[in-house]
Amino acid sequence: MYRGREGQWAFLLHRLSGLAILAYLLIHVISISLFMFGENAYMTVHRLYDFWLFRIGLVLIVAGVVYHAFNGLRIIVMDFTGTGVAYQRQMWYGVLAISVLAALYTAVRLYPRLVGGY
Amino acid sequence: MPETYPAPANAAEGVAMMRVNVKILRFDPEKDRKAHWETYPVEAQAGDRVLDVINHVKWYLDPSLTFRRSCGHGICGSDAMLINGRNRLACKTLLRDVAKDGGTITVEPIRGLKVEKDLLVDMEPFFDSYRAIMPYFINESPPPPAERLQSPEQADRMAHSSNCILCACCTTSCPIFWVNGSYLGPASIVQAHRFIFDSRDQATPQRLNIMNQNTGVWRCRTAYNCTEACPRDIPITTIIEEVKRAVMYQQA
Ligand code: FES
Repeated sequence: MYRGREGQWAFLLHRLSGLAILAYLLIHVISISLFMFGENAYMTVHRLYDFWLFRIGLVLIVAGVVYHAFNGLRIIVMDFTGTGVAYQRQMWYGVLAISVLAALYTAVRLYPRLVGGY
Repeated sequence: MPETYPAPANAAEGVAMMRVNVKILRFDPEKDRKAHWETYPVEAQAGDRVLDVINHVKWYLDPSLTFRRSCGHGICGSDAMLINGRNRLACKTLLRDVAKDGGTITVEPIRGLKVEKDLLVDMEPFFDSYRAIMPYFINESPPPPAERLQSPEQADRMAHSSNCILCACCTTSCPIFWVNGSYLGPASIVQAHRFIFDSRDQATPQRLNIMNQNTGVWRCRTAYNCTEACPRDIPITTIIEEVKRAVMYQQA
């Protein structure tokens, strides 16, 4: 692994979170559209989402969306201003902090569901 | 052949020596299918440069080791290597900055270019990208009797980008370049910047068009590896962002 610094990890996380959001959106659209085939088809798939991995995935997807959104703002600031480039590192730590906070908040709000399922 | 080479006779008394294991990624196209690590124990001074250590390996331990170097003083740009996981010039990296006594340093060829042998890579694709940005002064107006004058401010605009020595540390540290060799890469953009922001040059629109192509400046995803790697301390990301803005405002 190349030993890059903050910028490299910011870029990698941005890619990964973007792909995760895309995958989430596709699964979301497909599984909801299953209702076209009736309630049974819809429910068989949706019962799967009670699996613990999917429940934890909810927290991760919130973190991913928040990270992608705020890092996107960071990129805009960098693209349009020289100060943005100068402070990219600090901004990235800010983005990370916001993402972690958002994930924690989600975890707290979803706590019953996370431990007990639906 | 001695396992480790004794200190040179003129080494000052009392200069602290350190032992390091130099781990080099070797590849011989005539023998090997895959690159493999080879470790050489070396005794050297803390103030030696990594280039000295590699020279030592070649001269006294394994003459088949292949790498480029020429000036030895950070000017010619031939000895860019991946040292301890980061791109650096071997001749500008002090041993004490990358290794502790008894420690190990790793040396690999720079990434994204074809390895010809050991640390020597095919630089041709890199120079093709360099040529693609028309790296020469273009001004069709008749030359004045003396110099074409610039104000100090105008000279400052291109001061950083004209420091580039084309060592490829930046381009081969770029994650985008690793997966997409057609990206012109940070070095070419820095070179383009040097002419785009040269007040005397007249080919700015052409160069901005080259930068606007899909192999150009928009491939940059601001990973900053180039800026961290540059042995000339060129603020590469800043420069790339300036070119991005110049392309964008030209379109507007
Ligand atoms: S040998 Fe010339 S730059 Fe290192």
